[in-house]
Amino acid sequence: MSELSVSSRELEGVVLLYPSGFINAHTVSTFEDELQKAMGGGRFRIVVSGQDLRYVASAGLGALMGVIEEVRSHGGDIRIAELNETVRNIFEMLGLNHLYRIFPSEQEAILSFRESASAGTRTA
Amino acid sequence: MSERRKAKPAVVLRVPSGTEFLATIRDTTRRMAELAGCEATLAAQVALAVDEASTNVIEHAYRGARDRSVELRFTLAGGELRIEIVDDGTPVDPRALPQVDLRRYASEGRKGGLGVHLMGRIMDTVTFRRTARGNVCCMVKRLGASEGREVR
Repeated sequence: MSELSVSSRELEGVVLLYPSGFINAHTVSTFEDELQKAMGGGRFRIVVSGQDLRYVASAGLGALMGVIEEVRSHGGDIRIAELNETVRNIFEMLGLNHLYRIFPSEQEAILSFRESASAGTRTA
Repeated sequence: MSERRKAKPAVVLRVPSGTEFLATIRDTTRRMAELAGCEATLAAQVALAVDEASTNVIEHAYRGARDRSVELRFTLAGGELRIEIVDDGTPVDPRALPQVDLRRYASEGRKGGLGVHLMGRIMDTVTFRRTARGNVCCMVKRLGASEGREVR
């Protein structure tokens, strides 16, 4: 079994990334490629859905940190959903839960983009 | 001599310095942590800390050279799990490691230093020293303790 595979799909203008396995220094380029693929296509509303993500090392967190400003500068965001306890604890230990919005479910993460868009429309 | 100093490594693992061996390191560490009585989430976190330390050896001490080796020595004694990661590459000065400021990291797209920070958060102590065997990163998880803090 490969240590990491990343599938993706698009729903309601949001790119959903599904990393499956382990993200560390050995596998992080696979994850970075998928992030870049989404951004390269001009898609900056991204949800990383961690339902099959067993473990993420600092290399993976660094991959997220490395692109978040660019994503936000294009009016988008990277939101995180469905983390298992191990991965959620890692995010919390580093305080990444203050930098990224983390949702219990993928649906809530997708919906949050819709809400952000309507809030933007209302305040425009 | 204290009981701790008498303790012999229960398991010694030596792997080549390639990131493809991080999975072997992770699986062995997780199993050792489970044998020490850690529940699954904590065992996975300890495995992560050791993954980070081993990655540092490969990327910094060996600068990506794949023809070296990383040795891990696991000792379970005195109510603690002690893991030493030994290399003979360039010594790392932990005092030179950057302090982690997440917002600054994000705004500057920086990545370095997160791993050592994570090691310190997971383990009870993390120390670096130079010995006749080489550079030794020693990480201790006290069994029953919930959270670590000390990196020196």
